[in-house]
Formats: sequence, C-alpha cells, structure tokens
Amino acid sequence: MSKRKLLSYQSRRKLIINLVMLIITLALLMPLWYVLNNAFKVEPEIVRRPLVLRPQDFTMDNVIRAFRALKYPTRFLNSSVILVLSCFFLITMGSAAGYGIALANSRFLNRIYTILVAIITLPFQLAMVPLIFMLKAMGLINSYLGIALVYTGWFLPFVIFLYTGFIRTIPKELEESARVDGCSLLQGYWHIYLPLLKSITGTVLILRGVPIWNDLLVPMITLTRSTLATLPLKLYSFIGQYGAAMTRWNLVFGGTFVVSLPILVVFLALQRLFIRGVVAGAVKG
Amino acid sequence: MAKRRRFSCFLFTLPALLVILVFFLSPMLRSLQYSLTDWDGIAREAKWVGLKNFIWVIAESSFRQVFINTFYLIVLYVPVLNMIALLLAIAVYNVGKVGNVYKSILFFPNVLSMTVVAFIWKIIYSYDGILNQFFRAIGLEVLAQDWLGQPGTVLPAMSVSIIWFAIGYYLLIYLAGLYAVPVEIYESAEVEGVNPVQKLFRITIPLIAPSITINIILSTIGIITLFDLPFVLTRGGPGYMSETMALRVYSYAFVTLQTGYALAMAVILGIFAIIITVLQLQFLRRREEVLL
Repeated sequence: MSKRKLLSYQSRRKLIINLVMLIITLALLMPLWYVLNNAFKVEPEIVRRPLVLRPQDFTMDNVIRAFRALKYPTRFLNSSVILVLSCFFLITMGSAAGYGIALANSRFLNRIYTILVAIITLPFQLAMVPLIFMLKAMGLINSYLGIALVYTGWFLPFVIFLYTGFIRTIPKELEESARVDGCSLLQGYWHIYLPLLKSITGTVLILRGVPIWNDLLVPMITLTRSTLATLPLKLYSFIGQYGAAMTRWNLVFGGTFVVSLPILVVFLALQRLFIRGVVAGAVKG
Repeated sequence: MAKRRRFSCFLFTLPALLVILVFFLSPMLRSLQYSLTDWDGIAREAKWVGLKNFIWVIAESSFRQVFINTFYLIVLYVPVLNMIALLLAIAVYNVGKVGNVYKSILFFPNVLSMTVVAFIWKIIYSYDGILNQFFRAIGLEVLAQDWLGQPGTVLPAMSVSIIWFAIGYYLLIYLAGLYAVPVEIYESAEVEGVNPVQKLFRITIPLIAPSITINIILSTIGIITLFDLPFVLTRGGPGYMSETMALRVYSYAFVTLQTGYALAMAVILGIFAIIITVLQLQFLRRREEVLL
C-alpha cells in the first residue's frame, strides 16, 4: 500500500516536471519558430500575424531573394574551405602533438603542456591587433591559409589538451608491444593510435568546428575582400545595408534561415554526437 | 635510445608548437610590449612611451561606462545563467528518457551563429517586434518599449539573448555532473525523508561543486571576451550604454585606427579576465573543500 502510494507520488512529480519543462522548452523555441514561419510568409503578414503561418500567406520569395542577395553558393564554399582547412590543421597537428606529449614522458614536454593548458582561456583580443599586422606583412590577409592559421594557433592549445588527455587513457602496453615488434614512432602514430582517436576527433570537430563555421570576428578582420566573405560575415554586411532599423524584415528572416540551414541539418543528423562532444570536452576541462 | 625517442616525440609536437608560437603567443607578447610604445602597426621603429596609452584609454570619459558595462553584464549573466541551467538540468535528470528531447531542443540555439542569434533578438526587441506585440496584446501597453534603445533596458535585454543562446551548453555540463553522483545517495536521502529543497542544497550542490566551478569560470570568461553577439545586436549603443571592453578593443583597432589604444585596451581586458578567473577559482575551490 505505502509502496504504491510512493509510486504514484513519484509519477505525479514526474508529470508536473514534464509539464513545466514542456512550457519552458516551448518558450525557448518561440524565437526559432518566429524566424522559421516568417521566413516563408508574405511581408505584411509578418507584423500582423507573427506566429501563425496560414497556407494562403506561404511564399518562398524571402528565402529565394535572401539566397540570391547573399550569393549563397560562393559564401557557402568560402565557409567550407575555411572550415575544412582549419579542422585539418587542428586535427593533424593536435593529434600529433598530443601523441608526442603523452608518450614522451619528458619533463620538458610536460612543462610545455602545462603552459598550453594555462593559455587556453586567454582572450583572443590580446593577440588580435599584432596578429593582423603580422598577417598583413606576411601576405596572409584575404587568404584562406591565413584565416585557417589564425584559428589553428588560437584553438590548438585546447585541441592538444583534449588529445593528450585521451591518449593518456590508452594503456601504455599497446605502444610498448608495438615497439617490441619493431614499429617506429611514426608507424605507431599512423597505424595504431590514429584509428583509436576517432571519437575524440569527433569531439574536436564539434567543439571547434562549429565555432569556426559560425564566427564573425576573425573573418571580419582578416577577409576584407568581399568575394571571400563567409556566410555569417555576408549575412552581417547584407543586413547592415538596410540600416540599424532593419526595415526589410522579410529579407532578415529569409537570410537568417538560409544561413542557419546547414548547421540545422547537421545538428539534426548528429544530435547525439554534439551532446556527447560538449560533455566530453567540459568534463575534461 | 630513450633520449632519441624523446627527441622524436618532441618532433611530433613541433608543428603545433610553432603555429601556436607564431600565430598566438608571440602576438600576445607583442601586445604587452607594444602597448608601452607609440607603435602604429606599420612603422619599423617604436618609441617607448611608458603608460601613456593606458592613461589615455582610462582617462577617456566613456571608459568608466565601458568598465561598468562589462562588470554589470557579468553580474546580470553569470548567476542567472547558472541558476537556470542547474535547475533545468535537475529537471531533465528527473524526467528520465524524455529528458533527451528537452536536452536537444535546449541545446540547439548553441549551434547557431551568434550573428544569426543577434538578428533574431534584434527583431524580437524592436518596436514592432514580437515582445512588444505580446505586451500590447495582453493589455500591458505601458511595457512596450524600445528594449535595445534605452540605457536602462539594453544590458538586461542583451543578457537574456545571450542566456538563450548559451543555456543548453551549461545545462549539458551540469547534467554530466548530476549523472556522476551515485544514485544510492539520493535513494537513502529519500528514505530518510529529506525534502527537495534540502536535497538541492545539502546533497546535489555540494556533490556537483566541480561542475559549478567549471561553469562559472567558463561563463565569466565567455561573457568578458564575447564579441559577435553584442557587436551585431547593439554595436555598443545607445551611446556607450552597452559597449564592453571586447567591443572597444575592436573599435580602437579597426574603426578609429588607434593601434596604441587598442593594445592598451586589450591588455586591460586580458588582465581583467585573468584577475577575475583567479579570484573565482580560489573562492570556488575553497567553497568546494568546505562543502565536501
């Protein structure tokens, strides 16, 4: 009897929490619904009925016009090249460095590792100004390579931290037995360790790939030529054209929607990976 | 042999160390060095001017406002964000499997570009935006106002939009902390008849203290260095009422082209971030020890 009562209390509690959570989640979704439904609505209705999409008001106009005005395919390509190049550097250099630090067991490298961990949280603004002048002097302004190297230098300490921590959890015997079999350090890295680093590489891609894809500041200061603009940068300048009042709401809604579409698709496909990645990154930090 | 191996290991770290050194560390050190000179970024020669740049930046009439804004934003953002994220994490923890759905939805804004997030909220807060429409619809016409255009409302409004963006991330970290607590502890507490409030303050919070420490530090550094969202949302306006140190570094460097002041401002921002982090870390670590 008392057990049954306890159960019903438990399930009642669960129901209440669920209800509250449902309301909160819906409230948090409102801004997204606001964009989504208005991206597909004829302009006068946006202000008149901000949260309802009636079939007779449906239009693809906003999205198509924003797509054209943003020169979407070029921007998408720019963003992609920068993302791929940066992530390539982060993963290759980061995993190699993590491998070296974790296996060396040397006081010197451990000290370097401590320094790397300490500089993870230093603000980018502290490096920003001399960095830009240096890039200019090196001819790396308006260059995919230049912007990728900026992200690489900025994010590598954190990426090395993740890889080193992960490789340290792999039993040392693995590498020792490989060495006995005549495997060189490089072979060990390529054939034995790299295949084991898939999950942590996923974490790295999510924790640093998403911010790179979404970033506005670094493209804004390193890519002054408009043909090189990334999606967020183009969105910013394109809506800026219509002034602070942003009177052309249909274009703003259409633009924010098309710019967010790729990440939305990736997120829906890889939700679990995203959530695991954040947790893995934070628990180590 | 061991020596040679160690050297090979060092070679593996070399490319990464070089890139970090050239593209991150050395520019930082140069900021420190050149902030004390009249270097303009182009001239080879730089004359030592001592603290002149710093004095000029601090003496500027709006500096006090910028400093206060940065500080006020921390106060508006960090405690509120962490309290909501913790409560939501506890709720998600308690509902079982359905929690995964809430978790995904609440996390989603975090993968959007801050440029997009800023535009969304710019429209929400605008005069004909959904927020004011809502207040008018429920008869609270008096509350309809220009949220981003007034000194009193701009920073709280900005803070809400950042919380909306960030909440899911911090929720996930708290949730990981909650899952690490052994279930037996809660079960025995239940048997002893501990009420939910006691449970929160006596059991949950002490046991997830490390997650709280991580989150408070991360959210503080995050808000101090945040650029994209405030830049697109208000660009520091109206006047200087929402300008932060991070925005000011940018405007000195790339709008008014005053390199020396930009460097001084960046150094002030860096020192401010380091001091706040160290203070918080010391305080929170001590609390952790007391609680455990």
